[in-house]
Amino acid sequence: MKKETMMKTLKEAISNVLDTMFFQPVQLDESNSNFQEWFSIGQSLCGATVSFNGPLAGSLYLIVPLDLLSEITANFLGLKEEEIHEDQRRDTVREALNMIGGRMLSLADKAGAFKLGIPELMDENDLSDEKLAALRGDMVFIGTENNHLAAGIMIETGNLKLET
Amino acid sequence: MAFNVLIVDDSSSMRSVIKKIIRVSGFDVGEYWEAADGKEALKVLMNDWVDIVLSDINMPNMNGLELIAEMKRDELLKSIPVVVVSTEGSEKIVQESMKMGARGYVKKPFQPEDIKRILSNIMGEVEDEKRDHDEDLEGGDF
Repeated sequence: MKKETMMKTLKEAISNVLDTMFFQPVQLDESNSNFQEWFSIGQSLCGATVSFNGPLAGSLYLIVPLDLLSEITANFLGLKEEEIHEDQRRDTVREALNMIGGRMLSLADKAGAFKLGIPELMDENDLSDEKLAALRGDMVFIGTENNHLAAGIMIETGNLKLET
Repeated sequence: MAFNVLIVDDSSSMRSVIKKIIRVSGFDVGEYWEAADGKEALKVLMNDWVDIVLSDINMPNMNGLELIAEMKRDELLKSIPVVVVSTEGSEKIVQESMKMGARGYVKKPFQPEDIKRILSNIMGEVEDEKRDHDEDLEGGDF
């Protein structure tokens, strides 16, 4: 399994999940962005992370600005943005990552050798500029009509050779 | 005939979405029950009459496959149809779920029609089974 394959399936999963469940068509940014350039200065962010195990082990993460998270949560639940609570936003970012991870792994491996963990919220401290800049792994920068989000994959161990 | 539905998912948002889809699809639903994992679901099943269960797989404490296994071991619960609604989309997991006794499988992300179609089929089958059961009782010698 090539590293490119994992990234390709991650991108496909992001587009599919955000479009199908959150009515949010996206454009993937292929240029070499980094978090500082991608998000506006001082923009409040929310993030989730989930581990996976199998032929490769590692984790996925999803980072979404709060204003966009309110919008996609409202779309998901069929409510108005002003009706959305903090708990619903947190639950939605976890569930979005859960669906992206599940979709990605099932696209990458039809045999079902991967096991996805339970998504967890990222700590606020982990979303600071310094921590985001130090985040390892490969990132996917995603544009929506009016906003930006990001996802990434960190592969830590694996039995399969990664060809970069 | 009204059906009582139990939705099992550790995401409260996903439970709300599935509930909304069922509601707007026009099914005759009596009670909606919700549970955040398999253990909570079993408590509901032991205390309340449920006609159909929609369950996620990947949940803390007791996952969806463990829930199905527990239900199949119980005389009262084993005939309740379970539809798996999960991100676990590999053919191996789908086959394993069906082999364990799931009556249907919906992969997340899904379209509302996916839930509607599968529920429509299963509710039809359950109605037929109940009708046959009632006819057997009426036709029996006492």
